[in-house]
Order: sequence, then structure tokens, then C-alpha cells
Amino acid sequence: MEYYHSPDSIKDALSMAREFDGNFIYFAGGTDVQIYRKQKLEKNEHIIDLKSIQDLNSISMKDEVLSLGAMTPLDDIIKSKEIQNYFPLLMEAAKSVATPVIRKTATIGGNLLVRNRCTFYNQSQEWRNGVGSCLRDVGDICQVTGGNNDCYSRNVSDTAAALIALNAEITLINSNEMTQKPLKDIYLPCGIKFHDLDNKNILTQIHVPFRPKKWWYKKLRVRKTLDFTSLTIAATVDNDDMARICLNGVSMAPILIEESLDTLTIESLIKQARKNCKTVDNDLMPLKYRREMINVFLEEWWEYEHHK
Amino acid sequence: MEKVTLTVNGFTQSVLVESHETILDTLRNRLNLTGTKKCCDEGTCGSCTILMDGKPVLGCLTPTLRCVGKEILTIEGISSGESLHLVQKHLVKSLGLQCGFCTPGVVMTAIPFLEENPHASRNEIKESLSGNLCRCTGYKKIIDAVENAAEEMRS
Ligand SMILES: Cc1cc2nc3c(=O)[nH]c(=O)nc-3n(C[C@H](O)[C@H](O)[C@H](O)COP(=O)(O)OP(=O)(O)OC[C@H]3O[C@@H](n4cnc5c(N)ncnc54)[C@H](O)[C@@H]3O)c2cc1C
Ligand code: SF4
Ligand code: FES
Ligand code: FES
Repeated sequence: MEYYHSPDSIKDALSMAREFDGNFIYFAGGTDVQIYRKQKLEKNEHIIDLKSIQDLNSISMKDEVLSLGAMTPLDDIIKSKEIQNYFPLLMEAAKSVATPVIRKTATIGGNLLVRNRCTFYNQSQEWRNGVGSCLRDVGDICQVTGGNNDCYSRNVSDTAAALIALNAEITLINSNEMTQKPLKDIYLPCGIKFHDLDNKNILTQIHVPFRPKKWWYKKLRVRKTLDFTSLTIAATVDNDDMARICLNGVSMAPILIEESLDTLTIESLIKQARKNCKTVDNDLMPLKYRREMINVFLEEWWEYEHHK
Repeated sequence: MEKVTLTVNGFTQSVLVESHETILDTLRNRLNLTGTKKCCDEGTCGSCTILMDGKPVLGCLTPTLRCVGKEILTIEGISSGESLHLVQKHLVKSLGLQCGFCTPGVVMTAIPFLEENPHASRNEIKESLSGNLCRCTGYKKIIDAVENAAEEMRS
């Protein structure tokens, strides 16, 4: 059986989460989670729709800090004049997600918590039965590596790359406390448990404290629209020349490289990126090409950054 | 099963639905409104696009229970009797459809877009329809049709 609930407060949503104890799923825009349900990769019985909760859909600026409600649709972010003017990197990243129609439903919170992807896992039940199930589903080996311990499914959130490069923080609420922490700290280097949120946690707000001196963003995908990322890089440089370069789509979690431009060289940047990204052959684009594109994108950013 | 009241194309009616059902299945299987097409059923083709309170949404990803209290508009509610909406008229005139399977989704995406962006450029029109896949036309004639409709809507 499946049940749909639409609480109108965080308190009610949390008390439902307690009542259904692990047998529920939070539903924001549903543009990610619905597909997992259809493919029988998500079987929890209760859907807790967060849409009717007041105050989770907002864009505001106070003391130069941008705050976004987790239920804000990506389309509202793209159209916000404040974001266009002061946080164009976030606008570009939001604009590169999915399609214009999907972005009217898809939320920023859902995008930050989008589930990791792999060509051997994000398939219909029939496909998976034919090829063989994997570690992340009900099988006992990874179909990509043949190993039986680690899953390398990829974090594909485009806005996570941008918001980590922007040093964003998030607010989470669970039954007894509210916590604020850097967004980058929630992601785990594991394809199965890819973030450290307790399943009852509700992501409520995203805070972006800083406006970089320079920014750069690029996403590699098969078509210019619709496709998930094969490699996303977002980079910022602050007034003290500290660079924050975040790569996503090429590892189980977003990879952040943070270093002053005074010491960073392109060779060391590429070396760090290639070392930290656990890229395996689980995307539509071939592995060798994706690895090479890490160098190409980083070199492009480097050139842009050093172009007088 | 749950009994819900839905307003579709201006008519309000009660219907029994499963709690996980999508509005696409409700429209097609319970209300016999089969104009909205089911193609990929997983968000990648745009053929199931409908309007919810004037905003385009994908029917295959939208729970029916989320549509309660909203105004749903489907392709069946677009023309007034025999007279087609300008977007439909130009799709016919510019040969912007062949098998027609993607067409309801194209119409339901283009109409709210042009209402919001009456002066959209050709590139903006292309971008707005970038989630609507068509295996027949090669897209050029669809874009031509929407551009021509925009022009006539402005005049
Ligand atoms: C055709 C297609 C193309 C796509 N392309 C892209 C792409 O290019 N890049 C990309 O990143 N994604 C893509 N997606 C996936 C998805 O559309 C986006 O990631 C979207 O932003 C998810 O947001 P949502 O609100 O729909 O999330 P949902 O599907 O509602 O939720 C996603 C996950 O986050 C959890 N969650 C959501 N909100 C909260 C909250 N406030 N608190 C706690 N948990 C929460 C849910 O339980 C779920 O596990 C695509 C999807 C489709 C169908
Ligand atoms: S990386 Fe391996 S274990 Fe993980 S989803 Fe893909 S096939 Fe499954
Ligand atoms: S049927 Fe809904 S997007 Fe294809
Ligand atoms: S006309 Fe056949 S799919 Fe578009």
C-alpha cells in the first residue's frame, strides 16, 4: 500500500516522520523521487509532501547573506533579480538542471539532495533483472567494478557544486534540534549513503554568505538540456585570491579544492582533482573522455582566471 | 482508494484514485481524457505536459492528490469548440506535427511560455521547448510554428 500526506507545518511533517519510522519519503518537487518509485528503487509506503508547509519557499537577502527556502523552485531562483545580480553562479547552475518545465517543479532543496546516479542502477526493474542487480540494490557485487564493498554512483547535483564553491551553509531541522552547517560537510564519499542526514531531517534553508570576486561554471553533458551532468565544475575566487573549485558528477560526493592563487599551479590542481575524484565507468560518456575533460575544464578555468 | 474532487478544464468532478497515482494516469484512465500522452512516463519527453493553476507541469511526475484544489487544464480544454488556439493553428499550418504524439505536450508548454514571454526570441522559444522530444519533425517546423504564433499573438 502507498499513502500520501500533505502536512502544513514542519512540526506535523516531523511527527509523521516519527510515526512512519523509516517507511516514508519526503517529497519536494518529486522530479527525482518519483522516478525511483516508478523504477521500484524506492519502496517506502508513505509520501510526506512538503509542498504545503509555509515559509519553505522564499528568497531573501539580509546583511548581504542570501537565504533560500529549501522548497524554492529552481525556476524562481533563475528569475530572481537579486540572484541574477549578486549570485550569477547560482543562477547558471540552476539553469543547467533538467529542462525549463521540470525546473518549475524541481526545488533547490531537492536538487541538493538528489540521489546519486549510475548507468547500472538508474534503470527499470526489467533492465536490472536482465543485467543483474548491484550492491546498491539487492545484488552482491558492483556491476561496474566487480567489487563487493564499494559503490561508486555519482553525485550529480549541479547546484551543490555552485553552492559549495560559494561556501553555502544549510539549516536542518529534526525532532529536537535545528542545526546549521556548511553544505559541503553533509556529503559522504559513498554511493549508497551519499549524505549524512538522518532520514527524518528536513532541510529548511540554504544561506549564501559571500559574493566572490570572480566565478566560473561549466557542465558537460550529452545534450545541452535534459541530461544529467557528466562533469560539472564551479569555481570562485574571493578578494584575498582564495580559489574554491568544486567538481561534481565524477565522484560519489562533490570534490572541493581550496587553495590560494598565490600557491596553486594548474599542474597541482589537475593532480589533486584526478587523485580525489573516484571516477569509474558508470555514465553515458566514456570513462577516458570524462577523465580527460576534467583536465580540459580545469585548464579552461585556469586560462579564464589568469586572463588579464 | 481515495475519493477526491478535481477541477479539470473548468469541470469539477469526484473521482476515486489510488494515493500514489499520477495525474497523467487519472486523466487518461479514469476521466478518459486521452489527449495528454503517456510516452516515457519518467519525466524525459514532455509529452504529458498539462497546466496546473496556469503553470506547466509533467503529468507523469505529479501525484493526483497534489492537484486537489487546483485548476487543471489539458489539451482538451485549449481550443474553443472548432476554433483552434493560435499555437495549434500554426502547428498545423507550418507542418509542425507528423504523428502528433508530442504535439499536446508542445502546445501545453508553448502557450504559458508565450503568455509570459510575448516577445521571446527564436532562441528563447527553442530553449523553452527543450524538454519536449519529437521523433518526427526535426524540431525546425515546431519552432517556426511557435514563432509564427507569437507573432500573430502580438499583432
Ligand atoms: C529529465 C530529467 C532531467 C534531470 N536533470 C537533472 C540535472 O541535469 N541535474 C540535476 O541535478 N538533477 C536533474 N534531475 C533530477 C531532479 O529533477 C533535480 O535534481 C531536482 O532539482 C530535484 O528536486 P525535487 O524538488 O524534484 O526533489 P525530490 O525528487 O522531491 O527530492 C529529491 C530527494 O531529496 C529529498 N528531499 C527533498 N527536499 C527535501 C527537504 N527539504 N528535506 C529533506 N529531504 C528532502 C527527497 O526525499 C528525495 O530523496 C532531472 C530529472 C529529470 C526527470
Ligand atoms: S557503482 Fe556499482 S554498486 Fe554503485 S550503483 Fe553502480 S553498479 Fe551499483
Ligand atoms: S510521459 Fe511524462 S515526460 Fe514523458
Ligand atoms: S510529431 Fe511525432 S513525435 Fe513529434
